[in-house]
Amino acid sequence: MFQIYLPIAEISVNLLVMLGLGAAVGFLSGMFGVGGGFMLTPLLMLSGIPPAIAVATGANQIVGTSVSGTLAQWRRGNVDLRMGFVLIVGGVVGAVTGVFLLKILREVGQAGLMISLTYVAFLGVIGAMMLWESVNAMRRARAGKTVSSRRPGQHNWIHGLPFKIRFPRSRLYISAIPPLVIGGLVGLLASFLGVGGGFIMVPALIYLLRMPTNIVIGTSIFQIIFITAIVTLLHATLNFTLDIVLAVLLVIGGVIGGQFGVRAGQKLRGEQLRALLAAMVLLVALRILFDLVLKPSELFTIVPLAGV
Amino acid sequence: MLTALRISAAVLLALSVAFGLSTTVALAQKKAAPPVEEPASQEQVQSDISTRDIAIQSNFTGIEILIFGSVDFSDSRTPGEGRYDVITVVRGPNEPIVLRKKERVAGIWINGPGKSYSTVPGFYAVLSTRPVRAIASDQTLKELGIGLADFNFGRATVGSPQEQAYRSAMIRLKKQKKLFQERDDAVKFIGRSLFRGTVALPVNVPIGRYSVDVYLFRDGALASKSQGSLEVNKAGLEEIVYKLAFRRPFLYGLLGVLIAVLAGLAGWYAFRRD
Repeated sequence: MFQIYLPIAEISVNLLVMLGLGAAVGFLSGMFGVGGGFMLTPLLMLSGIPPAIAVATGANQIVGTSVSGTLAQWRRGNVDLRMGFVLIVGGVVGAVTGVFLLKILREVGQAGLMISLTYVAFLGVIGAMMLWESVNAMRRARAGKTVSSRRPGQHNWIHGLPFKIRFPRSRLYISAIPPLVIGGLVGLLASFLGVGGGFIMVPALIYLLRMPTNIVIGTSIFQIIFITAIVTLLHATLNFTLDIVLAVLLVIGGVIGGQFGVRAGQKLRGEQLRALLAAMVLLVALRILFDLVLKPSELFTIVPLAGV
Repeated sequence: MLTALRISAAVLLALSVAFGLSTTVALAQKKAAPPVEEPASQEQVQSDISTRDIAIQSNFTGIEILIFGSVDFSDSRTPGEGRYDVITVVRGPNEPIVLRKKERVAGIWINGPGKSYSTVPGFYAVLSTRPVRAIASDQTLKELGIGLADFNFGRATVGSPQEQAYRSAMIRLKKQKKLFQERDDAVKFIGRSLFRGTVALPVNVPIGRYSVDVYLFRDGALASKSQGSLEVNKAGLEEIVYKLAFRRPFLYGLLGVLIAVLAGLAGWYAFRRD
């Protein structure tokens, strides 16, 4: 009864399931302050959406959730516009590279493998690091010690690089090269995996650039809007893989779920949140790893030749 | 000779009026009876399809179509005599494909080099009254292009066991998706000359023009053939979205982004705290 035919994916899905999927991922992303793409894209693939369409449509959904996220952060003064634009410049270059890379890989039939391997590598490493860090923080908190959120601004090799720019909001005076590189790497991942890249961007800005955490979250979600919008456009024009009907369902669910997620997130403590997120990231990584290592029940796959 | 026939016809007519319906069979029988040296089969098959235009709209979940027809000048006396057999072939537009097989490399399963097939129908169904090999010889079937056993997918596969394995895997996958169907009980005779067959087009049917060929066999030989076609197209919103996505992809992408931005704004506005 609630079946709806998706014109580009060319399958029929349940309307309520897709709304619910969008809402669930939106809830989690609102709770943890990440885009949620790393959960959405694999979940879409599991529900039978072709991988390329899951990637493009996932990116489109993140545009919506990050717009409402940015507005909430903007009102708290957490967006560093100048840093955001530097990240976007790098991100655009990375995103274009990623979309072309994906196109080439699809032609030789290795897109699925490379997407899975990249997921396992990034989610595995970041999940493990976050889990380690948050468990330590919880143990220290239980022992009664105060948890210092920001270490004093030590000078490292990054401060020796040229092209220095002043970022008043982040209280930084650093070279434009590291933010450009970080932006580029995240843009590459975003187009490659159909994610916003917040899970890479946030730790990179905190640990490498030593930006204040609250500004990091606002700036990261702000630049994600632009990166995912460009990724959506590129996939739509080069690969014809955006399914707008599916995107509408996911965005509606995601925006509503996201708002409830933010409220739920405020009831949990920082390190508990991070531990939960880390556990989920690791679960997704393990799931994808198992699919790579276990013998598939069907060895053959049919792929249409030359897309269109 | 001619007058004799005319007289016998008049007598038969009078008889048929007298005995009612039960004799019409006999009449038809008599009509076909004159021992003129005609070719063995003068039967003609006529057929049509229940839906010639299939529109894929947002509520599309697949569709079952009915292919029906009749055998004119049938000479079977009773229903289900088994003298005639019908094979219906529904064939969609060709779609070139690549078939890949996963291989284990350094502990993980990755796609090996693929094999491409240039003339794979996007949809292919053979519906028949009995198993096709019981209806006609392999040679006849091959000449008519009926059945998957000897189907030419645009790739030489004879002789190589590996090619054969790929080929049968491709057919198996297509059958799993219901895009290839071979059903030997799908066509049924109703009475002496009327037959019907149903075929279910799955939700993932490719769009385009489909040919529907109906073959009438008598004693293993092709007696008559009838051709038809049907059109599968996206309609309504699905058509608009599909055409926009492929003809104006940039505009389509912008529209996607715009919808997402508006939804994000609306969500923030509806749930804002003050």
